[in-house]
Amino acid sequence: MAIVILRRAGMAIPTLLGVTLMIWMLLSILPGDPLVGLLAPDATQADRDRLAHEMGLDRPLPVRYVAWLGETLTGDLGFSPFRQREVVELIQNAWRNTAILAGASAVFGLTVGMLLGTLAGVHRGTPIDRVVTGSAIVGLSVPSFWIAILLLIVFSAQLKWLPAGGIGQLSEGIVPFLKHLIMPVLAGSLTTIAITARVTRASVVETFQSEFVDLLRAKGLREWQVLLHVGKNAISPVLTTSGLQVGYLLGGSVLIETIFSWPGLGQLVFNAIAQRDLAVVQATTLVIAVTFVLLNLAVDLLQATFDPRIKRTA
Amino acid sequence: MTSAAPTFTGTAAEAWRERDVPARPESYLQAARRRFMQNRVGLAALGVLGMLVLSAILAPWLTTHDPTVGVPAERLLPIGSAGHVLGTDEQGRDMLTRLLYGGRLSLIAGLVPVLIATSIGTTLGAVAGYLGGWVAAVIMRTMDMFYAFPTVLLAIAVSASLGPGLKNVIIAMTIVYIAPIARVAEAATRKVVVAEFIEAARLTGASTVRILFTQVLANIFSPIFVYASGLVGLSIVIAASLSFLGLGVAPPAAEWGFMLNALRGTIYVNPWVAALPGLFIFAVSISFNMLADAIRDALDVKG
Repeated sequence: MAIVILRRAGMAIPTLLGVTLMIWMLLSILPGDPLVGLLAPDATQADRDRLAHEMGLDRPLPVRYVAWLGETLTGDLGFSPFRQREVVELIQNAWRNTAILAGASAVFGLTVGMLLGTLAGVHRGTPIDRVVTGSAIVGLSVPSFWIAILLLIVFSAQLKWLPAGGIGQLSEGIVPFLKHLIMPVLAGSLTTIAITARVTRASVVETFQSEFVDLLRAKGLREWQVLLHVGKNAISPVLTTSGLQVGYLLGGSVLIETIFSWPGLGQLVFNAIAQRDLAVVQATTLVIAVTFVLLNLAVDLLQATFDPRIKRTA
Repeated sequence: MTSAAPTFTGTAAEAWRERDVPARPESYLQAARRRFMQNRVGLAALGVLGMLVLSAILAPWLTTHDPTVGVPAERLLPIGSAGHVLGTDEQGRDMLTRLLYGGRLSLIAGLVPVLIATSIGTTLGAVAGYLGGWVAAVIMRTMDMFYAFPTVLLAIAVSASLGPGLKNVIIAMTIVYIAPIARVAEAATRKVVVAEFIEAARLTGASTVRILFTQVLANIFSPIFVYASGLVGLSIVIAASLSFLGLGVAPPAAEWGFMLNALRGTIYVNPWVAALPGLFIFAVSISFNMLADAIRDALDVKG
């Protein structure tokens, strides 16, 4: 098992380097003047050159990448000239809030998706299956930001049941906290529910066609016992997709957090885009992408423990 | 049949004429077309899309209002108002007019990246799959890097780095889609390369480029077409998302994602009008997804 962990973790290192390289390229090579906003409008060419030299912009690109990587690895994600704050500080505060929202959406979305998918898979070909499969394609197509606005219209503007935005502090009690969480979680997790349900259904249907299911039935096991065996064998693709889903939730948080004024990474990115504060956009992208890679690594390892077949091939 | 042809009568001749063997076996594309024409959901989706695309193209002739200039006195009229069937927006512009015009940019922003990325991704994937070796390693490992990002986030990051504007949104989305298409093309090519007709083409002295274009491309078309058509529904939503975030068109242009964001502040005054642009995005996206499912079934591609 230790070998499996080491090998998988080793495979993540080139990916992580690739991520840093891509983010750095966005930061350094794409058009756009990195000195904009840092210089006074009446700055001379000499001022520009001096600042470029101070920031190391006159060095060759590979040297700049290695230097930047070193800074990033030591936790220096840059400075936001617009907010006059270290980007790390901004991200730290926002990170916790995004983790709450994405975590809650993931738990809710994956649970509901797996339940619906199993339900449809077990009752394949019945009206239940058709309703679930049909709803899944709706869930896949519907833009999360539109659902967010529809929820706001119904539950906030019309019924006035739920707050339109912001985050509830746990110190103020669990009820306001949950009230703030309901709509962002519902809007954000709809796609997760749809994709998870589809993957789960396909996997359950496929597993039910295996010969071991006939054997279990022939041995006289009850249907719910058979389902337990099927579930254990069908979980692998669902786990794979769940890692991806959490990543998509983090990516989609830009839209959901913006609409519900949720003070997380997504809202930080949105505001930074409006202010052309690229340091923040790129640092946040880096943090989310690294989380995404590590998350998929964790899912990989989890799969290896669940499924002995993977352990052997790894 | 000409009058000079001999005529045969009798039951044996009848049976021979009505025999159940078609003159020529149905080709792959004919079979696909027949299967598609039998798929009611797919045809309905195609019909909805045809109407939406047509109404976007014909917007100037179908509408009577100016899409960019509003009447301040007629701001925020609800759905069903006289003269404004779908109401007006926060600047007193007719919603129906803006929704029809908005379809132009929304559809372009959703479709064009898929088209460009499909041609680039197919080329990269086919070259990698055909040549193999270090060329494939370089191409495919580069593509793998893109998989380390959640799709929407990568599109947002690239688009934000390039700066706002519809052109940059299209470039950003194209970059994001190349990797998955290249993967599909590479996998399909690797299956084709081992076929004997490729070997035969090589023996006749055909160049690599010629083989790629005449032999490989025709045989990897189906899986790529199915994947790309499935991507369009998502692409429409991502394009609208980027516009929603202010990365796409600049005011006063009409675009669905942008309109949805602009109307966000009016949900307490004129709620259902604010929801309309999203309904159009959803209608296009779900129609494309259903069409893609029908195409997949018709072309008989798994996945």
